[in-house]
Amino acid sequence: MVKIGVLFSTTGPYAAMGRDCWDGAAFAVAELAAEGAAVEPVFVDAHGDPARYLDGARALIRDAGCRQIVGTITSLARKEVIPLVEKHDGLLWYTCPYEGFEANENVVYTGACPNQHLVPLFDYLIPRHGDRPYLVGANYVWGWEMNRLARELIMEAGGEVLGERYLPFEETAVERLVADVAARRPSFILNNLIGPASYAFLRAVRDLGRRDAAFSPERCPVVSCDLTECELEAVGPGVAAGQLAVASYFDSLASPENLDLKRRVAAHFGPGRRVSAFFAGAYTAIRMCAEAVAAAGSDEPEAVRRALAGPPRDSVFGPLRIDPRTSHAALPFHLGRITADGGFDIVASRPAIAADPYLVGRHGGRPRLRLVR
Amino acid sequence: MRSTPSFAGRRAVVLHRPDPGIERLTRQLERLGLSVTVAWEPIGAGAPECDIVLVDADQGWSGLLPWDGAAAPVPVVALLASEAPGRIAWAMEQGAVAVIAKPIAASAVYPALVLAAALYAERRDLAERMARLEERVRMRPLVHAGVRAIMAARKVDEEAAYRLLRETAMRRRLTMEHVAAGIVAGAEPLPEVG
Repeated sequence: MVKIGVLFSTTGPYAAMGRDCWDGAAFAVAELAAEGAAVEPVFVDAHGDPARYLDGARALIRDAGCRQIVGTITSLARKEVIPLVEKHDGLLWYTCPYEGFEANENVVYTGACPNQHLVPLFDYLIPRHGDRPYLVGANYVWGWEMNRLARELIMEAGGEVLGERYLPFEETAVERLVADVAARRPSFILNNLIGPASYAFLRAVRDLGRRDAAFSPERCPVVSCDLTECELEAVGPGVAAGQLAVASYFDSLASPENLDLKRRVAAHFGPGRRVSAFFAGAYTAIRMCAEAVAAAGSDEPEAVRRALAGPPRDSVFGPLRIDPRTSHAALPFHLGRITADGGFDIVASRPAIAADPYLVGRHGGRPRLRLVR
Repeated sequence: MRSTPSFAGRRAVVLHRPDPGIERLTRQLERLGLSVTVAWEPIGAGAPECDIVLVDADQGWSGLLPWDGAAAPVPVVALLASEAPGRIAWAMEQGAVAVIAKPIAASAVYPALVLAAALYAERRDLAERMARLEERVRMRPLVHAGVRAIMAARKVDEEAAYRLLRETAMRRRLTMEHVAAGIVAGAEPLPEVG
């Protein structure tokens, strides 16, 4: 019997993502049970509290005997859990997009890092919308680091960052921020806000666009790297229509694997349930984990990692390969335009990009640091 | 900070007895784009064929590295489990500007390299600046002598003589000390002035 811990938050500022991860994991577990797989899940809800992530992970590892944990959304929570997983030689399956600069052998990363989201995004945006963006972000490492990288990409392109502002997750007073955006007239807006702050910002920009056509989504899009189907209802029906978001998966993908998943999701959750990258990520991680443990004949991380190496496996992300060197998944890039009814039209795609968490490839051969003998 | 620190294509020497922790460190360094050599013997004198050294400060001995701290020709990172002041001092004497605590956590490696590289560069730049300034202080009397020579030759006051000397130095792309030395030696009649 494989014990898999599932550690997400279904309440708190980023609860919409957490609930979709939870549902994706639960759905995979239900399918595995129906298939007769010997999987025993243990669900823990951390309610958005970093301390409860640590307690939860400890309970999963020590009390429940789970060596495999699928979970955490924020980098703050992941960094809380990793030392514990390392100490007890477990494996954490991290399924969310993040800011990179990490590659831990006790973690399997199936969420995208910047060379899989931000870099191709800017390759797309700069020629079409210009190189003078406004950067907004959550007041923690995701927002800070994504915007730092964005600034670096803009500098390299010879552009200019017209503004950079940060808000706490739950700050919804965005009037001054939006007034500053309106005054500076950027080419586009990179949105790395999270939760209620992001929703309020998107609503305020929608209102701004109605007053001033220069801020319509067509002319000055708000672009996000973690906004998915699961949050559009919280943003408000139609509010973000026309804005852009990057993901490794969208519900509207027409691949046979996705059409099949959506049919099964509809049968389980009822019609109208949209699948997000968060749902698909947790779902895929649970299935991969169960498969890899079964193939390894053990839940010992080294054996599981060995089982993960090898040919890519079919998934809704396309053929999914975990690079044994970085422990990260190669992932496709999709850019979606939000539709009025809460979905995404895919406007650009790239096939799977190997993860480069430390952006080693960007600087390959080009000395960036004066390390002189 | 402007650009993302990258170690792609750099060479690291790890001076440590091979063990599973060092294997993990090696893999992490390789993930950061470095090529890695592990050794447990003194590295050759002179410039080592590497860009950064990570050294076991728990068991390292004097002579393991062919330099003392001030002259370290590459950034040095100490690998340290001990808290003994003597071992920390030894690490500093080797030029260590960052520490990775043992047992080594993967997440400790990149920050230590970034810190070591930045502090090393800063230390080296400061030493270069200090050397330049010391040279200029040493040459100050020569500048005064040059100014006095110009005052006498041109019948100008000290301020004007100083300005002439400075403008000549700028035009010739030399230091004022250089030009003054030429004037005092009688080799420089300030040809392009006046």
